[in-house]
Amino acid sequence: MTDGLKLTVYHGEHERAGSELLCDALNRIYERHALPTAILLRGVEGFGLRHTLHTQRLLTLSEDLPVVSIAVGARDAIEELLPEVSELVGKGLVTVERAQLLTRDLGAPELDEHLHEETKLTVYCGRAERAGRAPAYRAVVELLHRHGVSGATAFLGLDGLVHGRRERARFFSRNDDVPLMVVSVGDGRTLAKLLPEIAEMLEEPVATLERVTVCKRDGARLWQPPPATPAAGEGPAVWEKVMVYAGEQARHEGHPLYVQLVRRLREAGAAGATSLRGIWGYSGDHAPRGDRFLSVQRQVPVATIVIDTPERMARWWPIVDELTDEAGLVTAELVPAFRATGPAGSLGALRPAGGWRLDVK
Amino acid sequence: MTAALLAVGVLLLGGTGAVARFVFDSLVERRNASEFPFGTFAINVSGSLVLGGLTGASLASSTLLLAGTALLGSFTTFSTWMFETQRLAEDGELPLAALNVGLSVLAGLAAAAAGYALGAAL
Repeated sequence: MTDGLKLTVYHGEHERAGSELLCDALNRIYERHALPTAILLRGVEGFGLRHTLHTQRLLTLSEDLPVVSIAVGARDAIEELLPEVSELVGKGLVTVERAQLLTRDLGAPELDEHLHEETKLTVYCGRAERAGRAPAYRAVVELLHRHGVSGATAFLGLDGLVHGRRERARFFSRNDDVPLMVVSVGDGRTLAKLLPEIAEMLEEPVATLERVTVCKRDGARLWQPPPATPAAGEGPAVWEKVMVYAGEQARHEGHPLYVQLVRRLREAGAAGATSLRGIWGYSGDHAPRGDRFLSVQRQVPVATIVIDTPERMARWWPIVDELTDEAGLVTAELVPAFRATGPAGSLGALRPAGGWRLDVK
Repeated sequence: MTAALLAVGVLLLGGTGAVARFVFDSLVERRNASEFPFGTFAINVSGSLVLGGLTGASLASSTLLLAGTALLGSFTTFSTWMFETQRLAEDGELPLAALNVGLSVLAGLAAAAAGYALGAAL
């Protein structure tokens, strides 16, 4: 187990870095630095600092969809490539989060003391890896569900690193080896106990553990963000990331929850939101599910990520709270280092003021 | 007008229609606060109205080819209409999907008829 960092870049699919696409340039850097894992995800809906809506629901607006490029590595490795990434990313949001990194033999890790409560476990593998007769990601989700973990979602990547190899999706290909990740949220001790079993299901397991706060589960309020306090001095030292996991079939007043959430946040003036569609998963009580062959209505899970200052997040919280009155799993995390670049310039820095160790209430 | 000149005209006006659709649709959809794809709906209905008007005004056949087939043909869109209906159904918005088909057909027919009457009266 290593002290790791998770680097995430949120940007438009068409964003370029010199002569190539930004997402390609980023993955080339991750490959060159031999990171254990990296995954590029394309969002289905979202907006950024420019407040322009991008959605795959409408043909014209599906141009330049939001993408999320995630890279995970040991702290030194990520710190080393950070200046390069920082220079490359023009418009977009870069965040660095702390994560315990587990590679190869996941073992039964000794959790950081702060990981004992609610924890986010992310397992990275290849799409076609199998555990017995079932796809590995389904076996992992099934295992988590059986042990009462609050939610788990498998996301399919377009590009990234699997076992250190660059694997990207191509048009004429079975795309068996593209990266995939399973994000789950639950009790830290339960997740730690399951890790050896998960390790057996995967060829070369890579996983991260991060601290989260579970705010809501299936409409029940478990935690409420503290009232907004104005930031002292030169702006906020940390940002907050709220994630809402809800199935495609989750509704608020008869409409898809994630569509409503992105719309309301955009109308309210939030800094940005991105919805990602998973391929398999569950949140709360229902059994894991995904799309069925020849079924028009989709059943896949959707996760919506909102990142903003804690003060502003407290303003958006009533929206999140209202929309998740019946369904959804809502989590909050602190983002210790970030840089957001929009039309009005840049905000934040990629080096945390108080080091990478953060104590959260 | 020679066939070659007409082909060039179709090429240019066809491109113009497509760009106009893209711009118009973006403008409408960025202001649209509902799930209903108003952009494509407005494009198809307004296109039907203008095409009705052009045929009603019994224009020269080459003018009709340029304005109707090329400009309005690329401005209006059947495939996007169907695609966005499928996306609504995928999201479980079945009443809206049905409304998108039904309302577009009714409003489109009415617009074409009204356009034709207007064109003929001019």
